Amino acid sequence: MTDTAPEAVAPGAPDPDEAQRAIEYCYQQDWSDGLPLVPVSTPLVDQFLATTSRAPDEIIGSLEQVGRDCTVYLAAVNAAMAGCKPEYFPVVLAAFDALMRERAARGGGFQSTSGPAPLIVVNGPVRHELGFNTAGGAFGPGFRPNMTIPRAIGLIVRNAFGIREHVLGQATQGVPGRWSICIAENEEESPWEPLAANAGQPGGVSAVSATLTRTCEFIDNRATPVAEEVLRDFADTIGRLGPQIFPQTPVALVLCPEHAQQFASAGYSKADVQNWLIEHSGRTAGELRRAGKGGALRFPAGVSADAAPVSDEHFHRVLTEPRQIPVIVAGAKTAGISMVVRIFGEWSGIATPVGEKIK
Amino acid sequence: MPNAILDPTGTASTKAARPAAARAPRRASLRGARVGLLINTKQNAAPFLHEVGRLLVEEYGAGSVTARTKLNFAVPESEEVIKEMAAEADVIVTGVGDCGSCSAAAAADGVVFEAAGLPTAVIVTESFRATTEAMAELRGAPGFPYATTAHPVAVLEEAQVKERAAGVLGDVVALLTEPADENA
Repeated sequence: MTDTAPEAVAPGAPDPDEAQRAIEYCYQQDWSDGLPLVPVSTPLVDQFLATTSRAPDEIIGSLEQVGRDCTVYLAAVNAAMAGCKPEYFPVVLAAFDALMRERAARGGGFQSTSGPAPLIVVNGPVRHELGFNTAGGAFGPGFRPNMTIPRAIGLIVRNAFGIREHVLGQATQGVPGRWSICIAENEEESPWEPLAANAGQPGGVSAVSATLTRTCEFIDNRATPVAEEVLRDFADTIGRLGPQIFPQTPVALVLCPEHAQQFASAGYSKADVQNWLIEHSGRTAGELRRAGKGGALRFPAGVSADAAPVSDEHFHRVLTEPRQIPVIVAGAKTAGISMVVRIFGEWSGIATPVGEKIK
Repeated sequence: MPNAILDPTGTASTKAARPAAARAPRRASLRGARVGLLINTKQNAAPFLHEVGRLLVEEYGAGSVTARTKLNFAVPESEEVIKEMAAEADVIVTGVGDCGSCSAAAAADGVVFEAAGLPTAVIVTESFRATTEAMAELRGAPGFPYATTAHPVAVLEEAQVKERAAGVLGDVVALLTEPADENA
């Protein structure tokens, strides 16, 4: 539209041409995940650093196999580039800490052909203080903290750890939603304690949990009043063959409020749901063998599979303990639609409290 | 004066700020050499490396073969294991790198073995050249030589694994010995 008069420029308005040049400069340095970055200057990064008592040069994570460390300062630069506000930074630090507790994250997960994605879960008052989405559209997009915090983690892995695709990053296909999944639990509509309380941070404190995941699979079930029928639907997806490569196949459940409340009304605690699903999720040895996945039947170390062969009728459970199946309540109370999230490796089970600046 | 745009990239950590890695002197031949296999636990890695070891004894006169299994395929081996293997072997064959983290880890192990004085043949599948080379460079060994086999390895039958092992044998020998020995 060249025939319209140009908009009047308000005094003091930012210069878009300069902004575009700065964004393009960031692309040229190969810093970007593919989307535009916020060009970061010292005054901006200082605002991030002012939100924490931790020293800028403190090392907050190392990837020994590639010989890289991430400092508070580098995390701040990457968080600012990702589009975080300075006040999000303590959540970024907590999320990164929680993620680096994961054995898989430290042990080559970011280089894996699986191309796993972090699942970040935020609990406590910080959800509302920072304007997280705690309702519909839990997997995003549309909400700045939910989108920019996981992006910050992705940029830290790219820039601070130096894991770039096709070089040290070797994802065969990767995971949809990689570096963009940050769920603020819908504690207000959950019938149960928040995830942080299951992860060593009770009392409603602000805390972040994280694990690596391989994908999300939806369960749409909104027509039966029988809780066990809904659970059976979950068990079918949890136990399916595709993800099975090891004897155990951990999952996180991101339950919509409707499903969570249905289970609770039928008398189920979180632990009851976990135990029901541990009991019922799996496939028979015959089904695994016919799909070329008999290897997933391997017995624990020290027990030979040959010494105790299992018949084709043997039901192979993919989960054995509640920690392998963390339960989160998220989304809107609008339909019976939940997600089974495949965990890459095993969740640490430990949440990190969101640090407050020591005054 | 405008502010500078800040660089978000890290530099090598103190632990990894390694000087250029030394490469072990090559052997004139493999006659009598003790071969150490470092098996990375990936499917078919064990039969593949054992076949390489068997052929090194049978066709090149290697003295013995010992094997160890990595505790975690995804990360470089511990210094203790490297030291122990260095004490019981003269040359190392490791692999088979057929994933992102294990190929990189195989390269990292190879650089450490070489620095410990052991000629080493790292075997990865062709799909993982880029990450193998990137890791070797990170470890102070740009241009680190290694051997490749076609991808994939995990789905092969026993006979195919043996064919592949035989197919990479010449490259393994070339990696472990002086160039003059290649045509010996």
